[in-house]
Amino acid sequence: MANPKDDLDLDQGRGGGPAAAPLPPADPKYAWPDQQSVLGTPVKRLDGPEKVSGRARYTFDINRPGMLYGRIVRSPHPHARIVSIDLAAARRAPGVKAAIVWRDPANPERNTVMYQGDEVAAVAADTEERAIDAARLVKVEYEVLPHLTLVDQAMSGNAPEVFKGGNVRQGAVQETGDLAAGFKQAAHVVEETYSTHVITHVCLESHGAVCEWDGDHLTAWVSTQGISAAREGFASGLQIPSANVRVITQYMGGGFGSKMAPDAQGLICARLAKEAKAPVKLMLDRKEEHLATGNRPSATARVKAGVSADGLLTAFDAETWGTGGAGAAAGFPLPYIYQFPNRRRTHKDVYINTGQQRPMRAPGHPQGSFVTEVLMEELADRVNMDPVEFRIKNLPPEAPNAMWGAYLRRGAAEFGWDKRHKTGDPATGPIKTGMGVAINTWGGGGRGPSQARCEIASDGLVVIKCGTQDLGTGTRTLIAVIAADTLGLPASAIRPEIGDTMFPISGGSGGSTTAAAVSPAVRIAVVNALDALKEKVAPTLGVEPAALVAAGGRIHVRDNPSKGLAWNEACKLLATQPISVEGNWQPGLSSVTTSGVQFAEVSVDVETGIVKVTRVLAIQDCGLVVSRLTAESQVYGGIIGSLNFALFEDRILDRNTGQMVNPNMEWYLLAGMSDVPRIDVRLVDQPERGVIGIGEPPTVSTAAAITNAVRNAIGVTVRSLPLTPAKILQTLAQRRA
Amino acid sequence: MARKDDKPGGFAVSRRDFLKSAGVVSAVTAAAAPPELDAQGVAAGAAAGPGEVPVRLMVNGKRLDLMLEPRVTLLDALRMRADQTGNKRGCDRGACGACTMIVDGRAVYACSTLAIEVQGKAIRNVDGLANGTTLHPVQQAFCEKDALMCGFCTPGFIMASVALLEKTPAPTPEQIRRGLDGNICRCGTFSRIFEAVSSVKGVARG
Amino acid sequence: MKAFSYVNPKNEKEAVAALGSDRDLVMPLAGGQDLLARLKDYISQPDRIVNVKGALDAGVTATPGGGLKIGAAMKLVDLAAHAQVAKLYPAIALAAIEVGTPQIRNQGTVGGNLNQRPRCWYYRNEEFVCFKKGGNQCFSPAGENQFHAIFGGGPTFIVHPSSLAVPSLAYGATFRLAGPRGERLVAAADYFTMPTLQNVRTENVLAADELLTHVILPPPGAVRSGHYEVRYKESHDWPIAFATVVVAMTGDTVRTARVVMGAVAPVPWRSPAAEAALVGKPLTEETAIAAAEAALRDARPLSQNAYKIQVAKTAVKRAILNAAGIATV
Repeated sequence: MANPKDDLDLDQGRGGGPAAAPLPPADPKYAWPDQQSVLGTPVKRLDGPEKVSGRARYTFDINRPGMLYGRIVRSPHPHARIVSIDLAAARRAPGVKAAIVWRDPANPERNTVMYQGDEVAAVAADTEERAIDAARLVKVEYEVLPHLTLVDQAMSGNAPEVFKGGNVRQGAVQETGDLAAGFKQAAHVVEETYSTHVITHVCLESHGAVCEWDGDHLTAWVSTQGISAAREGFASGLQIPSANVRVITQYMGGGFGSKMAPDAQGLICARLAKEAKAPVKLMLDRKEEHLATGNRPSATARVKAGVSADGLLTAFDAETWGTGGAGAAAGFPLPYIYQFPNRRRTHKDVYINTGQQRPMRAPGHPQGSFVTEVLMEELADRVNMDPVEFRIKNLPPEAPNAMWGAYLRRGAAEFGWDKRHKTGDPATGPIKTGMGVAINTWGGGGRGPSQARCEIASDGLVVIKCGTQDLGTGTRTLIAVIAADTLGLPASAIRPEIGDTMFPISGGSGGSTTAAAVSPAVRIAVVNALDALKEKVAPTLGVEPAALVAAGGRIHVRDNPSKGLAWNEACKLLATQPISVEGNWQPGLSSVTTSGVQFAEVSVDVETGIVKVTRVLAIQDCGLVVSRLTAESQVYGGIIGSLNFALFEDRILDRNTGQMVNPNMEWYLLAGMSDVPRIDVRLVDQPERGVIGIGEPPTVSTAAAITNAVRNAIGVTVRSLPLTPAKILQTLAQRRA
Repeated sequence: MARKDDKPGGFAVSRRDFLKSAGVVSAVTAAAAPPELDAQGVAAGAAAGPGEVPVRLMVNGKRLDLMLEPRVTLLDALRMRADQTGNKRGCDRGACGACTMIVDGRAVYACSTLAIEVQGKAIRNVDGLANGTTLHPVQQAFCEKDALMCGFCTPGFIMASVALLEKTPAPTPEQIRRGLDGNICRCGTFSRIFEAVSSVKGVARG
Repeated sequence: MKAFSYVNPKNEKEAVAALGSDRDLVMPLAGGQDLLARLKDYISQPDRIVNVKGALDAGVTATPGGGLKIGAAMKLVDLAAHAQVAKLYPAIALAAIEVGTPQIRNQGTVGGNLNQRPRCWYYRNEEFVCFKKGGNQCFSPAGENQFHAIFGGGPTFIVHPSSLAVPSLAYGATFRLAGPRGERLVAAADYFTMPTLQNVRTENVLAADELLTHVILPPPGAVRSGHYEVRYKESHDWPIAFATVVVAMTGDTVRTARVVMGAVAPVPWRSPAAEAALVGKPLTEETAIAAAEAALRDARPLSQNAYKIQVAKTAVKRAILNAAGIATV
């Protein structure tokens, strides 16, 4: 079992606070330039042509001579003991070259499957069809054990103890201020239960790997967000030195937090390749993806909150719980951002027999945001305040990383918030419209180790090598923009090379850290490389190196552009001694914590319960905008992801057997083109803050904004996601009753 | 092998090496018209398979002779037996659209089409869309508007867009939306895909 | 997908000859949009596939009386775009446009749409050995039934998946079936079968060695028709409920009516009560509401699908309003 990121800081997501403290200044020579030539401009994605032409090779596309195809045998049962595994028939099947067991019936530590889709055995054959045929011939005898897949049942006292040490892990009480005093100050108290559901990552490229051995050296093409972590995972899982492992991820088709390690399928792939003495490709299918490669935990909060007569939050008391599957945590920050001076919270992780959670795009925040923002809407109504004004009144103090108040005012003006009617659209006819709002925050800071190497050859080619990877955010483009800006060249003149553990090490792409970890390293490497080039050029021009600048495709004397050399001429001076220098991440060029606000407009057909999102406006900062097009794309994507969370996607388990009924893309609903509203993205530039990641914050708040817009439209509150027609109609019917 | 080659992704083993191991019979540019349906030696009415049988496909104007079991889909035939990996397998059940190819002028899910049943038809996939390094106007527009993130859905979206524009060169917004409703982008690039397709001018009617 | 052999007959006769007497072992392949998914999920494991696309009629021909005969191999995209179909039987064209996605309509055929197997998620997942797969239970009544039947359920609670079946019934279509003993004509209303313990594994009267070759639509006469579909997602999704309404008028009042609902029952569900509520009345919003109420009066929801009553009611009402030319929303 993969080790899920345990114990999310339940108190994160408060916003503002210590992160607002100024960062140590960077060495001035590396500081981001005041005058930007390429930085922050809409540079086209560098690998766009590769991707649109189909030439980009994803792990799924790696074809090696003599390559076999692997297939995993998985448990159909949510909980069972494996009595026996018989590989004989599979081994005899046509084309089969390897068959291995993953569970060991004789070993009590390794003979139990804890969820539907848990790995049991695997085969490799010369075609994928034959591998699937053979996998079905593996005979596994299961002793089916009692399972728990319903959270309520797992929490009840009379459930069988499926997990050692109990089905529920009770967290410590978190308390701040004086709760009783807070409620005494309250003029109104809201007591409600809010909940969000489990969704899965549904990366369009499934998880998987191609493994090829050369003696005791492994080359693994892996669909991963962290090539270095994947290398360590292979090394420890296979008990070989990590120096013997090379991981390559040139392109990968989405990860969203679920692809941080080689996982069982990576190790199985490597073992099959070893046994078969041939390269093996093992890519999971869609059903396996839903069952076994992570999910966003559910969240439920039973909340009691107080507000004073003049609209100040006074107290917050919550019991919360959620499930991250079999033995995994399900934390989320609560309350989210807004300031409740007196608060208490107790949280439980509930274990059930499903695949384990993995970080999923802003882990914890969408849940915390939903609970808090819907509550805020109810509290605002109690004191008869406009939801925007009510929010502004209860924000943490404004700071560079806590700008919600300003963004709320700006957004309200642009969105036409003044045209918002009070709760419940008075329009006659079945179509009701409404507006809602919600805010977000995320860390997104950079950290080391993160290194990059800049190579400049006498032909003028600039190569940046960095052991990072691109999960679709545009890392190559980001690197090229920074190098180009530093060297006074167009981005197209830079060749970024990433996705290979032979390059200088960088971190995994999780937590929106890639941009803020990679950018400083690249900046420093390129500044150092430019210094080296200036050293070569200066004698030719008869000036000191410090007198030179790189701009407009030339190296020239500052304030005298005519005295200089064209880039290629300058590089020719390198002759047979190309420049190759590294840069290490340093603080001061990146920082942490973003703010964003989102407005949503919906229409609801109250005769069918169908919600349609018609408009979304996002105002979002991320420090220094490096690559404008790709940064905006992250915001579009975050919003659409959150729309899916609000309206469509839902992992549905059969309540009796515990098996998933919609492990596909037909009944696991995801928005298509006709479901996507008009989206306006406003990036706020904060160049003085340095680089901050933007992958996660935009996906935090749309679901809550949509839910609040639905409430504004239909006049009743839906307190759980997703907003299905069934739920909308049921909520409306309850009001009528 | 691996460690002898320092080039990233540079295991770009020659395509020929892979094709040899994948059992491709031949791939030649067709001299003229598509081959006859019965050129595979399978008499009409007789059962072919379940083992491998010769299958002749016309892909991007080139003839491709493969040995395939009848159960092999068009998508898998091209990806796993001809190393044409441009179009992707996302759901493998006709719901995500990443596999979308154009067969006889119409967008189809290649994952839900048997290779053996499209013999004699004109098959186009994303691998053959660009003219050398010159991108098709739709590909160009996707790059201009940043209508892609991870890019895994992109080949399918592009083929669906090409099919749409070849039939309807000046589509209304509604026609664009409906025309692309068979494809899913998990990164959430829809807004920019819509912009990109809206911006394309001058795709010849197919 | 289990390996199978493949036959590509040239004509109807060859196609019928290639079929056997066991539908579990030999299956016809048309557009493949349903069949291939079932094969991949091991829901169906035939030994032989008969590709009928090249063997069956894919066109539309006029019948002597002024009706149309639609070939089963016609692609849904062509049906949706067919001017005569849209003029004479607009609900058929509308239903065809709403099916699946462009890619599915480009591949999917009329015959395939009518004969596709249920989308019930218990049926579609190998783990659940339900009635439809030779098991001895239906998992939906005690399980996840939000998309299941609100009429006519038991022993299985599937909803019939065909979009074309509903307007076919509403227009009084007849299906031509070809078999080894020749052809037979079956009214659409008699073609789809309710589940019984004796006949639970199929959804229609088509024999294993028969093919549905044509949909024959009678001359429409002076009717008005309306069609309304409620989908959760506007893009690719299965309808929660939909309805086709066909009415013949005498002056301003309804003389005869057919009201058929889809996605609510194991078969296209005709509602005599709704039809009675329409006959003799003018086509007004009030009539539409009354007919919609009547249509759903006898619904029997399961634990999680009572909302479908409201959705289906709306579909019927709006289909009637469409027929009347009254704006619906």
